[in-house]
Amino acid sequence: MRKGLIAASLGLLAAAVLVTSALAKSEATATPAQLAACTNVSLGFVGPLTGPVAFLGQEQISWLRFGVQKYNAANRTRFKVTPGDTRLQAPVARTVARRFVSDRKIMTVIGPSESQAVRVGGNLYEKAGLAAVSGSATAIDLTKGRPYTSFFRVVPNDGIQGPDIINFVSGQLGAKNVVVIDSQDDYSVPLAGAVSTGLRRKNVTVSRESVSVDDTDFSSVVANVGNDVNVVVFATQNASSANTLSNQLREQGKKAIVFGTDGAYSPSQFKPRNGYVSVFAPDLHFDRNARAIVREYNRYSKNRSFGSFGPATYMAGLVAMTNITRACRDGSVTRAEVTRLIRTTNIPSILGGSIRFDRKGDLRGGAFTIYKVTNGTYSPAG
Amino acid sequence: MDWDKIVQLLVNGMTLGSVYALVALGFSMIYGILKLLNLAHGDVLMVGAFIGWGVINWLGGAQDPNVAVWLLIVLMLLAAMAGCGFLGVAIERFAYRPLRRAPRIAPLISALGVSFFLQNSVLLLFGADFRSYETFDLVDVEVGISWGPLNVWIIRIVVIASAFAMMAGLWLLVTRTKLGKAMRATAFDREAAAMMGIDVDRVIAKTFFIGSALAGAAGILVGLVFGSINHFMGFNYGLKGFTAAVVGGIGSIPGAMFGGLFIGLSEAFSVGYIEDLTRGRLGSAFSDLVVFLILIVFMLVRPQGIFGKPEVKKV
Repeated sequence: MRKGLIAASLGLLAAAVLVTSALAKSEATATPAQLAACTNVSLGFVGPLTGPVAFLGQEQISWLRFGVQKYNAANRTRFKVTPGDTRLQAPVARTVARRFVSDRKIMTVIGPSESQAVRVGGNLYEKAGLAAVSGSATAIDLTKGRPYTSFFRVVPNDGIQGPDIINFVSGQLGAKNVVVIDSQDDYSVPLAGAVSTGLRRKNVTVSRESVSVDDTDFSSVVANVGNDVNVVVFATQNASSANTLSNQLREQGKKAIVFGTDGAYSPSQFKPRNGYVSVFAPDLHFDRNARAIVREYNRYSKNRSFGSFGPATYMAGLVAMTNITRACRDGSVTRAEVTRLIRTTNIPSILGGSIRFDRKGDLRGGAFTIYKVTNGTYSPAG
Repeated sequence: MDWDKIVQLLVNGMTLGSVYALVALGFSMIYGILKLLNLAHGDVLMVGAFIGWGVINWLGGAQDPNVAVWLLIVLMLLAAMAGCGFLGVAIERFAYRPLRRAPRIAPLISALGVSFFLQNSVLLLFGADFRSYETFDLVDVEVGISWGPLNVWIIRIVVIASAFAMMAGLWLLVTRTKLGKAMRATAFDREAAAMMGIDVDRVIAKTFFIGSALAGAAGILVGLVFGSINHFMGFNYGLKGFTAAVVGGIGSIPGAMFGGLFIGLSEAFSVGYIEDLTRGRLGSAFSDLVVFLILIVFMLVRPQGIFGKPEVKKV
């Protein structure tokens, strides 16, 4: 009797273990049959693949493709990437948005990379129920007031970057006289405006200058920088421009140092003798825990240089693929379902911490990092 | 009056203007001989800049070049001028010559196509990253003229001097040589020149070679003085060079030189003073407004440009 009871209990236990493990397995990954619904699913990348800041878009899509290849190999999925080039032009971004909305294979948009592309395409994605997960659109207004219901970003917004820069420049650097330069685009003008206003509130003397996004010579702007200016804050999407500005300040014997915003972050291109740069995600090159993925990416890309834009987009892709896979469990997937699931995302991030979104689609607990650059060498500063 | 700032802006404007003048010369020569706006001209400059970048890296990089700096710069200039010269000849042969008898819009569209082709080819070959000449490692910024608060880096002096030398060389070529005479004759009346025994196709090819070589040299000068280059840079220089050619009088060589310097100086001084002159209403962002306002004024008041002659048509 007792033997029978023990045997029955063990049998029940074994059955329970089997059921639990099967359920747990289905929670982690879907079966091949279920994933059949996802065989023809694509991630639409929206970013500048040509034009003046093509290097950003190229870095992002390279990391996205790397992520897709890695995810497909690990999960037996067949995600594809469909590129959409905005050329950093709003009308082109709107055309790309129309194309992606009408392409039923696209289940999630990775991007748009630029805030202006979200502004012109956000309502189209929203109407189509198509989620857009950006790794670099940081303008505050995208999630302010009545935000787009299908827009998410895996990086903190400029509402965090602006105050960080203001506090660092006026506090730690003790600057009394600052020049703030924008590059006449939707990203830099609001950010430069917010930094200028914030610095003035801290009794810092601020002058504003402006350059074009495709300018390569800043020597005449530098002529306007007085010898008593301590810091030049350059809101730019172009690290190389920040480097030229820094060199031309030295050329004209100016003492001011350059503080670049997140677009200037690039250890291979922004290499001033003395300077600072803020960035929305920590640089993986400095993270011991990220050594394996950096090595893997270097192998994949044949040692292509990268900054913070690529890894953030890798995470945006991972968010999309994880949730599409979740949606595929019942054998079918819809855009609305994916958008709903993305809202509940909670996955560990290679950039540290985890990716979770608030009700407006902003990253919870995101922070900017400031790096000091000395003779072209980067070290975390705050 | 802040004289230091004025002199600094003068130097900056001359540097920029020298580059625009070299681009404008190419525009003017090609327009003069073919009545064609070579919209791909700015992209030829970009190709020249990339050839120079290749030479720097081939010779050990800016931090530790295998040859003396002056020799490195000369080799870069020669390589870019030769490379771009042959590129110009190829563009003329394959994109423009077959359309010589077509309506004028056809070669214009072809030129636009060549421009995109060059941009995207470089994007494909070199990627989208900005490439740096690392000139600040090559020649320290403190080497040059330092006079009170005014600093003029030696590379700026090299850029201005070489641009003027090339302009003078071109002037001599056009006015004192047999080729120059043939070029002028072809520009004046292509059919009559052919009847006089001039090989028009060869003269046009040589004109493309010289104009494109100047654009290649301009690409090197841009890379040297401003440091970074990318596949998209040709658009801006092409546009400003074209403006300079129109202001100076398209088809006129002295006009292109003058137009380039005029546009470069206007741009530099408008960045420096637009805010003061408009009492803060306009900032340096509007410097291009000044440049293109100049273009519009010239088109309205003197459409043939400063050195151009009004076209007279027999009826």
